[in-house]
Amino acid sequence: MKKLIELDINGRIYEVAIDARDLLIDVIRNKVGLTGSKKGCGDGDCGACTVLIDGKPELSCIKLAIASQGKKITTIEGLVQESGQLHPIQQAYVDHGAVQCGFCTPGMILSSKALLDRNPNPTEQYIKHELSGNICRCTGYKRIIEAVEAAAKVWSKEGV
Amino acid sequence: MFLNHFEYFAPKTPAETLELVARLGSKAKILAGGTDLMVVMKAKAISPDYLIDINGVEEFKGIFCEPGKGAVIGTNTKLAEIQFSEAIQEKYPALAYAAGEVGSSQVRHMASLGGNSCNASPAAETPTPLVALGAKVVLSSISGERELPLEEFILGVRVLDLAEGEMLTKFILPEPKLKSACRYAYMGRRDAMEIDCVNMAVTIELENDGETVKNIELVMGSVYPRPLASKEVTALLLGQKLSDQLIEKAAEAAQGEAKPIDDIRASAEYRREIVKVLACRLIKEAYAAAKGV
Repeated sequence: MKKLIELDINGRIYEVAIDARDLLIDVIRNKVGLTGSKKGCGDGDCGACTVLIDGKPELSCIKLAIASQGKKITTIEGLVQESGQLHPIQQAYVDHGAVQCGFCTPGMILSSKALLDRNPNPTEQYIKHELSGNICRCTGYKRIIEAVEAAAKVWSKEGV
Repeated sequence: MFLNHFEYFAPKTPAETLELVARLGSKAKILAGGTDLMVVMKAKAISPDYLIDINGVEEFKGIFCEPGKGAVIGTNTKLAEIQFSEAIQEKYPALAYAAGEVGSSQVRHMASLGGNSCNASPAAETPTPLVALGAKVVLSSISGERELPLEEFILGVRVLDLAEGEMLTKFILPEPKLKSACRYAYMGRRDAMEIDCVNMAVTIELENDGETVKNIELVMGSVYPRPLASKEVTALLLGQKLSDQLIEKAAEAAQGEAKPIDDIRASAEYRREIVKVLACRLIKEAYAAAKGV
């Protein structure tokens, strides 16, 4: 039986008719129409579906949409600033060539944001540890880590 | 990949939760982080009729850690909170470390400490140090509560000493003894998103002389259907001042007790070797740390 729920995604309230078994990634992509978040493995292993829930990185492919009510959900679309400018992490990814095919990038950037929110001066080891749940099959890890390090520098200066 | 149809409940209080657990019984599953549950439901390994989502119940979350009084950790405390908790890092570094090595950052922000034990996977990370730290679990139902050492709660692969209508609500950790230390280590194919082929925790408590072993607990994971606390290591090392030879002898005894299996992650033979390697390393580390306290 369908149920009407409200989801707070990127600060906007979406009213969606869902079934209890609907997964958050499917609702975000297919019902809300925000296709930035990607569905990779569907088993919580690859991190492509990562979204921030109340600021914490979670896997939307193993998260029920119905269990996400009342939370602040942030997808990659929510990072772009009001002026239309890219978020400093996005900009750092662009500047450092950290995007190849791009499939892992939305999840990777949201995980980067979560790790920088917790620790704005991360070591390389810390970045690797906290990003290890995002798999890049183009294997462009080196530049991704460089981008996060560069974003951290901007971060500690501007406090985004 | 669709999940089966189920009815979803989101109680707000422990009382409401326990009433649902009592009423729905084994047809219901408790949803905390879902990092194990959703995956097995997607694979159609289980198809519960009801899900009880406990994420709205504040009382099931949180770390209560007072100086000198051990710690109480709510069942739905996320592993990331344990990983980053300064109180846990200071008092129970082995637990903070083990929690920080589970899955990935995303998994740790979703998965709960209770779920990691209740899933009763032999390869789970946190039950090993929890057993070595002497943790107890509190099992609650509408008719009351009981306490049980975690070691006696996990009975085997996916088997718990949990009666119908009961649920795990918290963990109670005793205050670490003076001159004691607990250390944790694991071996797996890669660091992230893998399942340990062997994990292990060692707690050592020393006599007042700061050298003689007063108590030692070596717990192995992933080499037995449940966390395996070695009896022989304790028997061998109790009352001893440790030397490299003695530690090696104890590690070989642990090797003899482990009953690993061959599977996709490692062969039994390899696992047995790793038991010895980790046992030597951890006994030495914990001994040195206990001396330093």
